[in-house]
Amino acid sequence: MSAPPIGIIGGGNFGWGLAHAVERAGREALLWSRRPQRAGTEHIELVSGPGALAAAELIFFAVPSPYVATIARELGVHLDGGHFLVHISRGVVGDDLLGLTQVLRSETPCRRVGALAGPLVADALITGAPSGGVVASRFPEVRAAVREALGGPALRLYSTDDVTGAEFASTAVGLFATAIGFAQGHGLGPAAQAMLATRAMAEAARIGVVLGGKHETFMGLAGFGDLLAAVAGDDRPELAIGRAIAENQPLEQIGSIGGTYFEGLESAGRIAAYTRRVKLHAPVITLCAAAFAREIPAEEAVAALMSREVGEE
Amino acid sequence: MLPPPMRSIVHRLLSRPLRLPAILGPRPRPGDPQIFRFNSEREQIIAEVVRRTEEYFAADPKRLMYALNEAGHAEIRRLSAQGDAEADQALGSWRRLVKRLGKMSHEERTESLRAISRGMAEDIAGNFDARVYKLATRLIPGVLTAVMNPMGLPNQLLAGGFSQLDALISAEGPLDKLRRLAQIGTLVLVPTHSSNLDSVALGYVLMRENLPPVVYGAGKNLFSNPLISFFMHNLGAYRVDRRVSAVLYKEALKTYSCLMIERGYHSLFFPGGTRSRSNMIERKLKLGLAGTAVEAFSRNQARGLHRPVFFVPATLNYALVLEAETLIEDHLKGAGQARYIIDDDEFSRVDRVYAFMTKLVTLRSALVVRFGDAMDPFCNPVDDEGRSIAPSGQPVDPGSYVSRRGVATVDPARDAGYTRELGDAIARVYQRETVIIWTQLVAHVLYRHLVFATPELDLFSRQRRRGEVAMPRDQLVREVAEARDRLLFAEAEGRVRVGPVLRSQSPERIVSEALSAWRDYHTKIVAREVGDDVLIEDPNLLLFYQNRLLPWAEELATEETLAAARSIVNQGGKA
Repeated sequence: MSAPPIGIIGGGNFGWGLAHAVERAGREALLWSRRPQRAGTEHIELVSGPGALAAAELIFFAVPSPYVATIARELGVHLDGGHFLVHISRGVVGDDLLGLTQVLRSETPCRRVGALAGPLVADALITGAPSGGVVASRFPEVRAAVREALGGPALRLYSTDDVTGAEFASTAVGLFATAIGFAQGHGLGPAAQAMLATRAMAEAARIGVVLGGKHETFMGLAGFGDLLAAVAGDDRPELAIGRAIAENQPLEQIGSIGGTYFEGLESAGRIAAYTRRVKLHAPVITLCAAAFAREIPAEEAVAALMSREVGEE
Repeated sequence: MLPPPMRSIVHRLLSRPLRLPAILGPRPRPGDPQIFRFNSEREQIIAEVVRRTEEYFAADPKRLMYALNEAGHAEIRRLSAQGDAEADQALGSWRRLVKRLGKMSHEERTESLRAISRGMAEDIAGNFDARVYKLATRLIPGVLTAVMNPMGLPNQLLAGGFSQLDALISAEGPLDKLRRLAQIGTLVLVPTHSSNLDSVALGYVLMRENLPPVVYGAGKNLFSNPLISFFMHNLGAYRVDRRVSAVLYKEALKTYSCLMIERGYHSLFFPGGTRSRSNMIERKLKLGLAGTAVEAFSRNQARGLHRPVFFVPATLNYALVLEAETLIEDHLKGAGQARYIIDDDEFSRVDRVYAFMTKLVTLRSALVVRFGDAMDPFCNPVDDEGRSIAPSGQPVDPGSYVSRRGVATVDPARDAGYTRELGDAIARVYQRETVIIWTQLVAHVLYRHLVFATPELDLFSRQRRRGEVAMPRDQLVREVAEARDRLLFAEAEGRVRVGPVLRSQSPERIVSEALSAWRDYHTKIVAREVGDDVLIEDPNLLLFYQNRLLPWAEELATEETLAAARSIVNQGGKA
């Protein structure tokens, strides 16, 4: 029996990047988007509705997190327990910081779900430049299916069963990349940026463990690996957004930079509220949330970060 | 060879399950639950356990060698420590095996494996005697009532029923639907675990509510009493020896449990593993043997048998917990390293069981068994016809979850993923379906006051404050009333259940009855009235009873008591 096609939801850069990676891996892709923006290829078929994706076994969600629930509900009526769903979103939902795999589970009949995290960027997926990431799922079949669908000589995909850790690390990296952009906008040098990144990741790991994730996930590709790529300048929008916040640009203007800003802002506020509720020490995230929401002036946030008491590492 | 010592003979007689002669036993009728056919299938089941164990281990010579070695060394270690006559007998054969293992051929090792796994399967496998079941259905209510209240027995008999026991234990939830589902598929009952009485109480509730009997893996320590052993053994319970750590044994046990579900035997598992030491609602469930239900479903699907499996979470909510004193002590002492097997608790002491029963009988709804809605092994709700329902409201084929590209397969790694998801889903149902009992609420308000009065203390320092903190009785009644109103609000939102007594009685009465219930059963004074105050005497037992309310502690608090409630939540701990 020939391998079934791979479904992709989302016609943004990432959706197309995944479609090209699938094509390079020798598989057929079915791409569904309300605004596909580009024409299909020999191995990338544009489909007009979610029903057509039922022919796939593995379906990627490449849409921003606020849209995942609605689309999953629409798609869910066409699926059953035999489908695998994997998202690439950097976001958490609800007061308890649920990852989007939870949304996929509650809105569709699918249980074999997962998340793709790490330093994957759309451009590298499109061009086939060397890149890598981590696929997180409790189901080995899903991890293997993602590797088969995308992996190749230019794309190394590691795997983990720590879905909670990988999803939260991915969300936190989006937030920290914005914070580093913010620090760069204030002229802070590499040492200050490194301090910010390290302390912030330690905070994220603490929260992740409370959520049920593993500490080591934050030290791996989904955490530090991803953040290193952002700092090294892989042209993801969060850095530019951070710099724009530092320059006090209007929120509306910042929103048009990459479409990820509002997700980051919401996540920051949600994570900060969660840490207050469960009494977790998270000064960096709390300050980020306040600065991004313009509740405190940017200069004050930087000063507050630098004047924090120094403790044991 | 010397004859075995007298103690050993007595031990063997008492611990070897007694059976009635097979002849003259009634034949199962169509429509009887599968368990009525167990005896005719018993030998096949044991043979299949042996066959699958062999298939798994003997396929790989290294795995076989390791399994035998590991079992040998683990058993030698355990039996040497056990040091009784039974141990001495078994020790010799394990030592001989370990000594010869290196020189054995693969066939000889396979033969040893077969013999060992047969011995294990024989030890595990239960028995079902319809005569004992019928006897139990007639006897248990009478015995329980007689034990609880001997004076009431003649009246009960004259009245032709056991209304007292009915009032004592209430059952709630979708019982009609469960009866229907039991006809369609296999029920896997997964309740919370508070006491060694749980399995007995559940067995009684199933019988009373006309639900089918279930098979249950009972700890071997429950078989040490000959009378309990007789009933347990002949009512389908199988024996789980938690002292045996060998991988081979665990595999035999899992295979047995899986086979029972595959063959349609309704089953009972406590997914929390052991009794909740802290009395907190169990949150992290590993499922253990209950996970074999997923494999059983997959195996049936893979051979074209589409028999559904329904997981039924249930909560057992006691006004008084028989073993409360030992459990909370173990929880505080262990701080996460509690003893796995406790064999010297109140359950093993007849005087404590009697005191418990005699107190319990004076209470109404002393135990509320709340059944949650059934779900399939993939956490989907099921409708009245037993169909799995997707979030869209449409039926979904449960077979699709164990299939790849249309072909059903057996895949332990995949099923482990489903089992983890099930553990999370069952834990969520536990919280929603917990029934708050009046003793728990009074304990919570009193304990919150203790924390309020001692904000500077840590958990352990606070637990030592015996007879030092008093709460005005008026204030206690008022705060109980307020907290009950908030609980009823949470119940209206579907986040918890409120017990019948707590719902209907006046707060004044609730406080009086809680103080009286604790006073009459526990050996330690929990709290007592001194003038217009209630003096807190045993913070440990208060902590135990109030721990059930932990998830709602903050929302039950007023502005004044919120800090204390948060402090209780944060001191948390493992269930």
